[in-house]
Amino acid sequence: MRVEKAVLYRYLTAIALGISVLLPLLAGMSFYILNVAIIMLTLILFSSAWNFLAYSGQASLGHAAFFGIGAYVSTLIARATGFPPFGTILFGGLVAAFIGLLLGLTCVRLKEWFLAMVTFGFAVILQVVIASSLAPTTGGWDGIGSPRLLPAEIPGYLAYEYYAVLAITVVSILCIHLILRSRVGLAFAAIRENELEARASGVQPVRYKLLAFTVSSFFAGVAGALEIHHISFISPEIFHAELSFWPVIYCIFGGLGTIIGPILGTVILTVVWEGLKGFGLTYARFVIIGVMLILVVIFLPRGLVSLPEEIRKWKSVRKAPLGPDKGSDR
Amino acid sequence: MALDFGILIQVLFWGLYAGCIYILLATGLNLIFGVMKIVNFAHGELLMLGAYITATVFVLSGFNPYVLIPFTMFVLGLIGIGVERLCFRPILGTGKLNEIFLSLGLIYIFQNGVALIWGDDRQVLNSPYQTISVPIGDIQLPLDYIIIILVTALILVGLYVLLRRTDLGRALRATSQNRKGAMIVGINVERMDMISFGIGSGLAAAAGTLWVVSGQVFNPYMGSLPAIKAFAIIILGGLGSIPGAIVGGLIYGIAENGAAYFLGGIWKDSISFLILIVVLIFRPTGLFGEEGE
Repeated sequence: MRVEKAVLYRYLTAIALGISVLLPLLAGMSFYILNVAIIMLTLILFSSAWNFLAYSGQASLGHAAFFGIGAYVSTLIARATGFPPFGTILFGGLVAAFIGLLLGLTCVRLKEWFLAMVTFGFAVILQVVIASSLAPTTGGWDGIGSPRLLPAEIPGYLAYEYYAVLAITVVSILCIHLILRSRVGLAFAAIRENELEARASGVQPVRYKLLAFTVSSFFAGVAGALEIHHISFISPEIFHAELSFWPVIYCIFGGLGTIIGPILGTVILTVVWEGLKGFGLTYARFVIIGVMLILVVIFLPRGLVSLPEEIRKWKSVRKAPLGPDKGSDR
Repeated sequence: MALDFGILIQVLFWGLYAGCIYILLATGLNLIFGVMKIVNFAHGELLMLGAYITATVFVLSGFNPYVLIPFTMFVLGLIGIGVERLCFRPILGTGKLNEIFLSLGLIYIFQNGVALIWGDDRQVLNSPYQTISVPIGDIQLPLDYIIIILVTALILVGLYVLLRRTDLGRALRATSQNRKGAMIVGINVERMDMISFGIGSGLAAAAGTLWVVSGQVFNPYMGSLPAIKAFAIIILGGLGSIPGAIVGGLIYGIAENGAAYFLGGIWKDSISFLILIVVLIFRPTGLFGEEGE
């Protein structure tokens, strides 16, 4: 029996949602698993935000900047006013979006490596500014405490926190999904594939590129704020290049330009990562991730999402000895 | 703040010395870019590996570290060829983003592979000349830095001769000007890819050796930032232009040390990106870049 692809996806989404809702029970309220799961959810949101930008053909290597801005703004507002973090997260995202818009304005004419370099440099500069010039408010390199999403006194607060983060992540990804499926998403894809042709058919690249930057920064900022309110501590280390690289790696691994890709990539790599930690590996797990990344880039350029398709292609080639050889389908 | 002339000279000199390492890195990157039209963001990891190999051989054998430069360059050249064959050749022509992604993987492998073998502590090597300094006027210039500047100049002259005066150099330049044309006249462009990657890696190794010799601390993570700055330099100087890389390297070395002195050490790394962003706002293709690249 052959299941319709869309129906299959719907079932899989339902199953994934079901598992994530039941996770606290399945994991027996384990502190460790819930912690990992919460961080994973924020990273899923973060990589989805990065993916959103990449969908319009702009690959940023400094998305930690927006992650950090969202986290810092939300933390500072929550500390100064005493608002609950649930409200300040929104401000974190909005400020990140605004700064994303400004950076987008400088990046609109840049492509590929040029864009990658400017965004990377922006994160480096921001780290210095936060750590030195703004040290009186941000605590400099020492960092500052951040209010928790939920007070730790509530029994089982970690599970509630998990559900809160889950809800925000799911809603955000739904938003991203709806935007990418709309005409806006089509415009993004058109710009990514060929900017000149897009312009010829009446799409204004500048407007859409700025929109992509703004929305992507917003969600990155929300993700950062969520993670920091969970960890309850923030320091300029958040702008480290490592954090800019993770969403990139997750997205490539799962599949660039798809909704499911960043989610799949983040989940699988987090599980692999934590599993390798269980074996007591420290440096070796980075090496393993690096090797996996290179293998995926070379052999599965469209990520793990395309794995079933690739296997089918490979099988059909094997079945039909006179069929098209490997070189002809390029 | 009274501007002391002596200090200004000192800052310039430091910048010149720091610029040497950037120049070597940027020239290598540029050579590879010219021939293969790819960018290896993991170029700095080759510098780091070069630093470790020199340091290890120096500790084991006690040779003068400057003598080890050709050896390290050779070893890294071989490693570079391996990286090109195994990683970059399969993705050649599949899109520019793939290079960035692949380089990320290489960065992880090299950094942590080295950390596995040598540990990730910060280390320092003592050069045999570290106590000697040359007085010029009333300024003391360390002998090591002078040697480093001379060695860099020597390597660059060697590269110039190789590219301009030999058949191999002509083939490399032909490939970088027009790959298809080079194929038509019978140049084995894939061999040129390998050679350019090897030479580029060798230059990174030389930079790593000079880094170690100058008495700077080194650890497995030292390479990423210089490499990204080297890439910023070649964007600034124009992709594929080796004179641009040299000028850009000098500007960066001097600007960084000036910033560190006048604004405080924390600004050292960010000044280079500030320059880059400002330049790119006004000239999206770099200072000497061509349209459409």
